[in-house]
Amino acid sequence: MIRIAPKGSPERDQMIKEHKACIDSMKGVPGCTILRCKTPGDTTDVSGGIHEYFELNRTLVRMRAQPATNKLVVICTKVEKEWRIGRLSGIRGVPPVFATRKAYDNEQDPQHDIFLMRLDELPESDGYPEHFHQGWKRRNDMWATT
Amino acid sequence: MAWMRLTGYADKFGVHPGDKIKFYVNCDGPKQYDAKLVKMIHGDTNPRGPGLIEKPIKSSINGKYKGRKQVIHSGSYGVVEDKSQFHLKSFTLQCWVWPTAPKTHPKYWKHGAQGLVTKWHNNKGYGLFINEDGCAELRINGKKITTSAPLRDHAWHFLAASYDAKTGKATLYHEPQIVYALDPEVKPATGKMPAPRHDSSPVVLAGYTGSHSKAATAASSVPAGIIISGQYNGKLDSPRICNRALSRAEIETMKLGAQRGMTERRNAGPTGALSKTIVAAWDFSDGIDTIVGRDQGPYRFDAQIVGCPTRAMTGHNFSGHNFDWKHAPKEYGAIHFHDDDVDDARWDIDIEWEVPKGFESDSYCVKLTTKEGDEDYIPFFVVPHVGEEQAKIAVMIPTISYMAYANEHLANNAGGAELLVYRVPIMQQQNMFLSEHREYGGSIYDTHTDGSGLCLSSRLRPILSVRPKYDHFLMQAPWQYPADLHLIYWLNQLGYKYDIITDEDVNYDGLARLENYNVVITGSHPEHNTGPQLDALHDYTEQGGRLMYMGADGFYWVHSYHPSYEDRGRGVITEMRRCESGIRPWRADPGEYYHQSSGELGGMWRYRGRYLHSVAGTGMSSEGFDISSYYSRTEESNDPRLAWAFKGIKQNEKIGNFGLVGGGAAGTELDIVDTMLGSPPHTLIGATSAGRHTEAYLLVMEDYGFSQQGIDGTQHPRVRSDIAFHETPNGGGCFAFSSIAFCGSLPWNNGNPKKNNISQLVKNVLDRFAKDGPLPDAPKSAFKHRGRADYDPPMNKKRK
Repeated sequence: MIRIAPKGSPERDQMIKEHKACIDSMKGVPGCTILRCKTPGDTTDVSGGIHEYFELNRTLVRMRAQPATNKLVVICTKVEKEWRIGRLSGIRGVPPVFATRKAYDNEQDPQHDIFLMRLDELPESDGYPEHFHQGWKRRNDMWATT
Repeated sequence: MAWMRLTGYADKFGVHPGDKIKFYVNCDGPKQYDAKLVKMIHGDTNPRGPGLIEKPIKSSINGKYKGRKQVIHSGSYGVVEDKSQFHLKSFTLQCWVWPTAPKTHPKYWKHGAQGLVTKWHNNKGYGLFINEDGCAELRINGKKITTSAPLRDHAWHFLAASYDAKTGKATLYHEPQIVYALDPEVKPATGKMPAPRHDSSPVVLAGYTGSHSKAATAASSVPAGIIISGQYNGKLDSPRICNRALSRAEIETMKLGAQRGMTERRNAGPTGALSKTIVAAWDFSDGIDTIVGRDQGPYRFDAQIVGCPTRAMTGHNFSGHNFDWKHAPKEYGAIHFHDDDVDDARWDIDIEWEVPKGFESDSYCVKLTTKEGDEDYIPFFVVPHVGEEQAKIAVMIPTISYMAYANEHLANNAGGAELLVYRVPIMQQQNMFLSEHREYGGSIYDTHTDGSGLCLSSRLRPILSVRPKYDHFLMQAPWQYPADLHLIYWLNQLGYKYDIITDEDVNYDGLARLENYNVVITGSHPEHNTGPQLDALHDYTEQGGRLMYMGADGFYWVHSYHPSYEDRGRGVITEMRRCESGIRPWRADPGEYYHQSSGELGGMWRYRGRYLHSVAGTGMSSEGFDISSYYSRTEESNDPRLAWAFKGIKQNEKIGNFGLVGGGAAGTELDIVDTMLGSPPHTLIGATSAGRHTEAYLLVMEDYGFSQQGIDGTQHPRVRSDIAFHETPNGGGCFAFSSIAFCGSLPWNNGNPKKNNISQLVKNVLDRFAKDGPLPDAPKSAFKHRGRADYDPPMNKKRK
């Protein structure tokens, strides 16, 4: 396992900067990825992001693979107008709840804020041997699958 | 926050002029709602496109309606109405179980005891249960005894309970089929209990009678007015009820069930004396394609199976030698019940409309609104009768695929869905509502609430994913129904006259449904198909019909309609099993690949010898859901057999580097030409997106044998979309656009072909395909022998 870059490390700062630049360039795209559009909002030419920054790529995969319980998600509260950040319950029949009070006027900005929240929540040693527990025998590991 | 207080559904997807269509509405709160008929032309609210376009239509149904709450009583079970033979004093109950969620989280939506074989209600009667702690439990009236040993989930257990009213002695047996080295022994539990008192409650298998209710919302339960609770999650096999306390040895013999008409030459089982104790002995291996749980006992107390649980499931005696239930039915005596199964919402009718004769075939909705701001749409299509076609162009709406994706919960259920889409999913109000209202059922992409695969989907329930203004988490954009409206908008915008037909029309009517059209256009993602539908498409293109395949990942999964729901309409429930390969959010278990509906092998058409590529020329090779890309013309596009399609598009032009799905025409799921997988050897590729996709695009697993690197869009040559054409006999042809995102580019710049080269390309193709008579002949030089693997690359030509 590679470590999750800790707070204050240059790698972390670089990841945050690149992620933000990618998200800003994706505004207007009906879809989103962590790559930079050469022309903002236009996916004709993309580069950077997950294609060029190895640590960012690997960190995002680990974040995405986390199990559903308490996982952050985006909730559209007004069609094409307002979005908020929520958390999944991980329990069938229990709906997500809002995680923050902030409302967004575009669907891409919450992606970056969730990235920042997850950086703070994921331990540097996520997935290291000391995290192994009995649940890993019963698919209750740290890697969700569809 | 209440997410959707208005929801509704229609009794059919497609209605013929002159026929009636019924609408069912739940209005939970507001006293009144408005209904209006609208033509639904464009459902995508993206500000970069034309926005929502609906046209009000004058209709007798337009007006105000009284709001009322209607609920879905989900969960599957078997039920037999109350009979005097069930009013037992002494008894024995027995069954095999394979529980999937014997113990649930306290916040789980249906947390609590689960009924197995019950004639029990409100502390009256008897029943075998799994209690809240996940242990076997016998209830008589208000008394309970339990073995206190939790049932291992996903494992077979034999359970039995006997009660002798004379002595008051009750015995409960819990015998795990497999006992591991360190498993404690589970001893029978015994106790003194009172004799059961009885009311009019039915016998319930896989549940128990929760209440008798006169409330209006109880009318949609089965039986009406009786609410079934404690729905069991798991397999139930060979339930029996006997009328006295049997010894353990007698219980063992009773596992064989009723063996009626026994002689020295036939049958073997309980002796005559023991057989006399049988009140009911259900055998679920009999009538697997029905919704009846057959009782082999003397009274024929057949159970009505409600909710369409999964049958053709391996039983406790599955030997692993036969994998098709038709060849070893006795090994398929289990039904897998789920607490979120739903076959029919069974709501009361709110609106009924007789479609006027000659009414225009098109895409419509009943739009529901309240003055408080609630809103929902119920989509449907007006489909001409065969022989009364209104146009030369037919749009084949992929309604089986709509059902497959109906009320999909992936963003909420599966944290790992993020790995698929390469970003955080966005949930819409529909997803939020469904995350709380599990009774609306899931999609064939979901697992049930017990984690098992969901393989049956009904259209007789509100399907909130088939709505305008709905963006799907996979692309942050329309998917299926609202994505197909991109095409409907474009056809309207360019002034084409078209008819709408649906998957079920083609399935049931066959070639007759297609042959009067010059061209048939698919939706953006016709992934799920029945055999009769593919046969009809094949016959159509072979006899000179023209097919425009507007999307990708089409013709992928085997579906069949459940025959037991045909009295409620065409194609009410569709079934699909996710078998040995293919992109699968769940995977069927061994021995469970064959459909209960038709007995046919499920899974991918590819593994039935019907390659996807053989239907329209291209087949799925990869998928990715982050962003889309664009196409370039190939050299082959200048072949006179194909050059007409690219008229007005320059050789080096970027084709479709815009769009409302991923920002480009080549995206989400991508198809390619592969002559080794069924593409005809004379197929031409006019444009390709080769080399332009992101790391999020990955090769489909059926195309490689080892888990390996190098399968993503930045590396693998099969991660691409090919726009392809081939001629079919008698002046027919297939044009494959090979990307689900493709239709999302059609509305760009209002679909103006001068400002939108995707629109220009599709217009060129449609104009040629829609003309009367056969397509122009290919040049004589095009008639030559071609191999499948064998071809003559340009490099070899140069060497000559």
